[in-house]
Parts: sequence; C-alpha cells; structure tokens
Amino acid sequence: MGGLEKKKYERGSATNYITRNKARKKLQLSLADFRRLCILKGIYPHEPKHKKKVNKGSTAARTFYLLKDIKFLLHEPIVNKFRDYKVFVRKLRKAYGKSEWNTVERLKDNKPIYKLDHIIKERYPSFIDALRDLDDALSMCFLFSTFPRTGKCHVQTIQLCRRLTVEFLNYIIASRALRKVFLSIKGIYYQAEVLGQPIVWITPYAFSHNHPTDVDYRVMATFTEFYTTLLGFVNFRLYQTLNLQYPPKLERPKDQESKDQDEEAYAMDSESSLEKLSALSASLARVVVPVTEEEEQMDEFPVDGENAEQEEGLRKEREAQEKHKKLFEGLKFFLNREVPREALAFIIRSFGGEVSWDKSLCIGATFEEKEPSITHQIVDRPLPPVPIIGRCYVQPQWVFDSVNARLRLPVEDYFPGVLLPPHLSPFVIEKEGDYVPPEKLKLLALQRGETPGKEAESESEEEEEEEEEEEGEEEEDGEGGDDQEEEEEEEGSEKEEEAKLKVMEAQRTQTKKPQVTMGTLDKRRQLPQEEENEAKRLAIMTMRKREKYLYDKIMFGKRRKVREANKLAQKRKAHDEALKAEKKQQKKARRA
Amino acid sequence: MAGGGAAKRDAGDSGFLGFRSVSVDPGAARRRKRGPRNKKRGWRRLAEEPLGKEVDTFLEDVRLQERTAGGLIAETPDENLFFVDTGVGKNLLFGLAGGKGAPQIAFLSPLFGKPFGTLGQIWGKGDFWGGLLDKVVFLVNLKPLKRSSLQLREGESLAGSPRGSMGLDSSPRQLPVRLLVIEGIRLHTLISFFFPFLQRPQRLQTKPSQAPAVEVIPSGGSYNPSFQDHQALLREAHEVELQRQKVEEKLSRQLAFPTVDKAPTQESEFKELCEGLLEESDGETPAEPEGEGEADSQTQRPPGPEKKTEQQRRREKEARKLKAQQAAERAAKKRHQEVFQLRGIRLQVARRLAELARRRERRRLKRLAEDEKPRRLGRLKYQAPDIDVQLSTELADLEEPEGSILRDRFKSFQRRNMIEPRERARFKRKYKVKLVEKRSFREFP
Repeated sequence: MGGLEKKKYERGSATNYITRNKARKKLQLSLADFRRLCILKGIYPHEPKHKKKVNKGSTAARTFYLLKDIKFLLHEPIVNKFRDYKVFVRKLRKAYGKSEWNTVERLKDNKPIYKLDHIIKERYPSFIDALRDLDDALSMCFLFSTFPRTGKCHVQTIQLCRRLTVEFLNYIIASRALRKVFLSIKGIYYQAEVLGQPIVWITPYAFSHNHPTDVDYRVMATFTEFYTTLLGFVNFRLYQTLNLQYPPKLERPKDQESKDQDEEAYAMDSESSLEKLSALSASLARVVVPVTEEEEQMDEFPVDGENAEQEEGLRKEREAQEKHKKLFEGLKFFLNREVPREALAFIIRSFGGEVSWDKSLCIGATFEEKEPSITHQIVDRPLPPVPIIGRCYVQPQWVFDSVNARLRLPVEDYFPGVLLPPHLSPFVIEKEGDYVPPEKLKLLALQRGETPGKEAESESEEEEEEEEEEEGEEEEDGEGGDDQEEEEEEEGSEKEEEAKLKVMEAQRTQTKKPQVTMGTLDKRRQLPQEEENEAKRLAIMTMRKREKYLYDKIMFGKRRKVREANKLAQKRKAHDEALKAEKKQQKKARRA
Repeated sequence: MAGGGAAKRDAGDSGFLGFRSVSVDPGAARRRKRGPRNKKRGWRRLAEEPLGKEVDTFLEDVRLQERTAGGLIAETPDENLFFVDTGVGKNLLFGLAGGKGAPQIAFLSPLFGKPFGTLGQIWGKGDFWGGLLDKVVFLVNLKPLKRSSLQLREGESLAGSPRGSMGLDSSPRQLPVRLLVIEGIRLHTLISFFFPFLQRPQRLQTKPSQAPAVEVIPSGGSYNPSFQDHQALLREAHEVELQRQKVEEKLSRQLAFPTVDKAPTQESEFKELCEGLLEESDGETPAEPEGEGEADSQTQRPPGPEKKTEQQRRREKEARKLKAQQAAERAAKKRHQEVFQLRGIRLQVARRLAELARRRERRRLKRLAEDEKPRRLGRLKYQAPDIDVQLSTELADLEEPEGSILRDRFKSFQRRNMIEPRERARFKRKYKVKLVEKRSFREFP
C-alpha cells in the first residue's frame, strides 16, 4: 500500500557520477579551463561500473567524473582566477577594439595571475609523495626544455624548464645519485636514486624535433605548468638536504680573472650563470663547507642465523653501490666535439670523473686537450694522425656501458674504429630460465671478476686461429705495419666472439647433457635430497586430476621456455658463424 | 507582534557570526511543508501556520544566543565580542561567519563601519587567505609577522598539523596575518585557518592506474641492440602490423563491390523478391490430409482411466502415508548419524572454504588484470601507440630518433587514465562557402 513512488536514477550510482559537461556547467568554466583545472588539481575521469545506469538509460559513451570530486573542485580558489581571466580577456578585447590604449595598458598591468603553490602542497602532503611523481615531472621538463623557441609554447616556459632541469642534474651530480643509463632510439633513459626512491626519466636527443599533430599542446602545456612548479619546490628541498645553496651557485675557481674573459664570448652577464651551470663542469657551492667528509658507518647489529645471509647480502650490495659511486673517480676525460657533450658530461661528473671539452665548443671548459693528465679522450671519429700518448681513446659507448656494468670495462672493445659490442638495456632483468644473450653472460662474468676473453680456447678453434695467424704472418711480409695493427684489432674482436661462443656453448652443454662422474655417494648428503624428491613425487601422485593437469601444463611451459632459450642460443651461434665466415671471406678477398 | 518581528530581525542581522538558527540547523529550514497546493484552502492553511512557528524560531534563536554567547548578541557590547586592536593604524578586523550560503564578512575596524563583502569578494582581492572558518574573529596586520607571534593557548601546538614538509615559498606563515583567538575556539578551527582550503580527500591520493610513469623501451630499442633483442622487437612490431593489415583486409573485403559473376542479375533479384512465396503454396496442398487426420484423432480419443474403487483409494492413501513415515525416519536417522560424520563434515566445510578463497583470489587477480587495462573514459577508446623500431638498415643513426617523446608522454597520460583520449576538434563550417566573382574582375568570354 502506497509509499512514495521510487523514481529511477535518483539514487545509487546514477547520483554518484556527473558527466563532464554538467560538471563544467556547475563550475561555470569553459571546457579548456575545466580541463586545465582537472589536470592541476589531479582530478581524473572515472569509468563507472554500470554505465547505463549512470547515464540514465542511455548507452552513449561519455566522460564521467565523480560528483564528490567536482564538489571538491568547487572550493578551489583558482576557479575564480579562471573566471577573472575570462573577464580580463573580454575587457582587453573591447579596449583594443575601441583603441583605448590607456585602458589596455592598465588592464595588462592588472592581469590576473594564479599560483599553484597551495595545490602542490595539497597534492603532495609529504616529500616522498612528490618524489614518487617526479618521473613525469622530469620527463616533461626535459622534453619542453629542448623545444625550439618558435611559438609552440611560451619562451618563458622553455627557459624555466631548462633552468629547473639543469638544477636537478646538478643535484644528481652532487649527490652521485645516478644508477643506470640507456641509450635508446627514442632518447636517453636515466635512473637515479633520490632519497631511496628510484626515479626514471627520459631525455630527448638534441635537435630532434618533429612536432606531432595528434598531441594536444594545451593539455601538455598545462601538465608542464604544474610539473615545473613541483620541480621547483623539489629542487629547493633537495638542495637543502645536501646543504647546497639555492639558487645554485658555482664554486669559484682559483684563477678567476682568466676565466671571466672567456665567458663573455658565450653569454651575456645575465645568462652566463645559467650557462655555466648547464655546462655541468663545476661543482656547486655549499652553504656550510664540510670540513672532512667522514664515511658514515652503518650500525652493526649482532646477527642471528637466519638473517645473517640477508645481512651479508645487503652489506655487499651497499659496498658495491659505494664503489659504483666512485666509478670514474680520479679519471680525467676530454670530450671531442662530435660526441654528445651534455649527456657525457653529466654521466662522467656524477660518477666522480673530471671532464672538459674544447673551449670553442661550450662554456665551462676546465682544461685543454693538450693537458697530459687526461686519462681518457672520448672520440667518435677516426683517430687523429698523431694521437697523444698516455691516454685512452675510446668511443662514447664505453662510458654508458661502464656505468651499467658498475665497473670500468676493458677499453679494448671500445677503441675507435672497432665494432662495438651491443649496448644492452640495464632495465631488463632476466629471470631464471630466460634466454640470456652471450654479451650479457660475458658482462656477468666480468662482474664476478673473471676474464673470459683470456681463457683457453677449444681445440678446433685454436687450430683455426693458428691457421689464421700463419696466414697473417705470410701477409705481413708483403705489407707494412699499418695493416698489422688492423689485423690485430680484428683478431681481437674475433677472439672475443669465440670466447662468447665458448661461454654460451658451455652453458648449453650444461643444460643439455649433464656430465656423469663416478664417485662415492655421500649418504648423509644424499638422504635429505632423496627424501625431498620422494615427497615431491608423492605430492604429484596424490594430486587431483585437475591440479595435475595444471601442474603438467606449468612444467611443460617451463620446459618450453628452456627449449626456446636453447633454440635462440643455437640461432645466435649460427648467426655468429655466418658472420665470421663472411668476414673471413672478405679478408681473403682483400688479401688476394 | 511588531516588536517581536523587529527583535527577530535584530537577532538575525547580527548573525554574521553564524548564530542564526538557519546556520545552526540548516536541515530544519530546508524541510518544506507538505500539503496540497493546488487549492485555495490549502494555501490558506499554509499561510496560517508560520505565525506560531515564527515565534518559535525566534525564541529558539534567543535561547541559542544565550547558550552560546551568554546573552543576546544585539545587546552585548562590541568589546566583549571582538578584540579591537586600536594600537596600530592599519589594522583591520574581520568577523567571519560560516554556515550556509556565502559567508558574511564585516569590517569592524573603527575606520570602516559597514559590511565589507562576501568571502568570495575578499578572496578576489588576492592577499587574503581567509578560509572556511566558522566563528573566528581575527586580525589582519599589514606587516609580515613570524609564526611565533601567533598566539596559542597554553598546551596547544600546531606540531601535529599535516602541513607537510615542502619548502613552499609563500606559505600562509609568511602572510601578514595575525590570529587572535576568541575564547572557546577549537584547535581544529585554528589549524583550518592555516589550511584554509578543503582537505584533499584521501581517495584522491591514489593514482588512477598502477602503470609506471616512464615505461622503458625494451632492450631491442637500444641504439646499438644485440641481435636477438632487436629481432624480438622487430617481430613484435611485425605482429602488430600484421594484425592491423588483417583488419584492414577484412574491411575492404566486406565493403568490396561484387564481381561480375557474383553480381545479382535481374533473374536472381526477382527470385529473391519471391523468396518464400512459392514454397508456401506448394506446402499447402499436402498439408490438408494431415489436418483431416488430426481431426480424426481428436474425435477418437481413448477413454480416461476408470474410476477407482473405495478400497483402491484407501490402499493408496496408506501406501503414501507409509512412504512419508519411512522418509521421515530415514531423515532422522541420517541426522543422528551425522554426529559421527563430524570429521567428514569438517573436511567438507574446509574444502568449501578453500574453494571460496580460491575463487576470491581469482576474482581479485581478475580485477587486478582489469585495472591494468586502460579505462574507457570517453567516446574514443585508448589506442596503444606504435612500437618504435629501427630497421637493421637504419640502426645506429642517432640523428633521426624514432617516434616522438612528446607523443609518448601524451599517450602515457592517456594510458594511465589521467586524460581521456580525444580527437582533435575539427573545424566545421556551419554554412557553405559561396563563391562570388566580382563584377569588375569577371572575365568575359
């Protein structure tokens, strides 16, 4: 009997959501402003579970927001600023139309501006929260800082992004926080560890600008606006943690007068500080100069049996990290003008190396090419006719690979003109049973402290080698010493390849046919293992049919993975052999 | 009655402090009286009622004021209500009233005696961080003051406030604001002055997607990749391309015009039009004899069962009763036996619970997998960007990087459900463009 009639769509999910258009009207904003507001405040659209209910019976695809979120937006003070701005534009247009220049001036002086400080604080209640969102901020800022100043976005934004990113890079250098580098076909990926948080960002290569048309620049500019504010605060805080001055200042070099003259050639006084900062060659001034940098000693706790291994592992990891931070310490690099200066300078400096470049290339060069104490010169072109003795000439990839390998790799593979080993991604972590490429295997061996290149070769290969050597000797008589050098290089690379193959083969044989060695059975050791096996077998036997099926499938999958890995290894071997044969043929052809 | 009305207005007008009954119990005022409104009598009754109610609300208001402010606010002197700092020349004193609607603000400085404006207007002036306070009187000093000058009652501190640890430049701390706390104010209100904006709800701290902000390109995307990695990436890209091609082919096949031999002729078209007509007429003729047969069978229906005798009925009834009795006995026995089956039952229960847990886990995983996917946030679906690869011939050519980072970032925002996928708004003209050749330029043949 009776009761009020229940109306549809007046309760439940239909009332929890609001369409974008309705939300816009509620806030009295234009669509562009609404979108801007949502991005700034971190309010994102929602997909309701029951769209038809929410959409009041219609199935049209719409953008929904939570009503609660929109109500929250209603309290935002910058909404008023948006409205003010709208009015401002209207007045300005009118004044222009009437040619009332005084009014235009006055209006322009009182242009409404808004600040995002309170939003930053609201969205990131703790500093760690802000750090977690830094990936986006950095990527966007690095991207925008490389934009040409052609009007795709405001020049001020570009400059601001540039300044912020340079400040951040300087912090990374000062804190030695860089961990990984990966040169990809898109750009350079970096990973740093800031206050225990891993931060990944990508920087584009210089001068790579094809502006895609399917990207909404307004949206991207809004994101950047927000992220620049965030990065500004974060930089400030980071500098504070290291007792660095903010805004950053460079440590004054001792021979001041000579430098100042050079600087004028590059930049005006107003810009020179930023330019010098962005050269990344000098270290930053500290608020309090540390007297002696004492190594922090970790507290030692008495270990109990279970945690001992873990503790040990952690300690080792820590030590390795400390060592990694000092990777290039004591080395002096000189960059030739054809190599990417900024990336290399950043990486070398953030591992403790000293770096310089040609004075005409960029501001902030600290020493000249002739300096005898230079240990490495990075080149990407054929060697000069008279190389300077006492330094290694290497290709830039050596730096990147060394950083990723956490040790100074042997420079022989990276001499100019040598075919480089592949640049592997440090972000890929192989699981057990996955195919591991031979290059990685070699690297792992190097990290363990072995030198796989100098191991004894297998017999057949050795013979081959001898043959080649003989051939080489024959040739040597005919030709000069120049050829000999080349020969040696090539042989070197071949040797390595063979070494790689050997390692790979060894692994393959390990997986394929386990070697059987007769020996006395150690009963004590055998027993628990056997018991374990027995238990496993029993467990398999007592499995239910369905579970058994699943188990079989899993095991099959595992085996298939191994099989595939083997196949890949074999394929690789075939590929390498083919390459080798081809090379040999070429060599022969050349000789003939 | 007139006096009562005036007094009421007085009490109400001084309500910028929020002592109005409306501000206290907004729910009561909102409630609308029910009753028919389409007849004259109904209206009359509605009009009569408020009289008594008005008195009621007035008295309630007075009582409220007595309770909260210790007497009628209209009668209390200003010194008791506000702290008027007359020492510094440029001090302004605000009274803020929360409650429903736009909060009222009054200038009570001796310089300006009249109300100043709403909170929104003052906000518009820029240098004022007044928040959603209720019942606070505070002083705005035009000189910047340090936090230490904030007067707190003993034993209270702002240490536990969630002000975060960001190095904000223009935190309210540095704003030229000095608080004067009237008696009985809660610490919460005080804190809310420093956080004048609505606290961000906790649910907004979770990100709409768990996907990483920067997805690192697979190993094959290295500028100098190893052979295997490069091949793997190429294969992946190839498969995507193949799929796309397949869809395209299917579409073109479906939309293709039929070839000459498959195209409909006049004859086939006619046949199609007559489809079903001819067969029906064929089928009717044999159907007739069947209908006759049915009619026959209906008339010659076998007779139903014969009537049961009394004895039969009794026996059946007894049999039924016996059966029911036996069933009940069996059930009772079984129930009794269940005591001894406890172990089995426990096992069953355990199995059932395990099954439920398994299902729950599966649902959870499914939900997680669902969360991984980009949501449908608008008219358009999210479309993953192309896999960027460099062919073996173009490798090691850093002059021409593949793809665009800007697009990647844009797609990443879409992928993480932060913005809805959108097409660029296309320019659409409402009217046709009319081409008119100017007379003076017209070319004569």
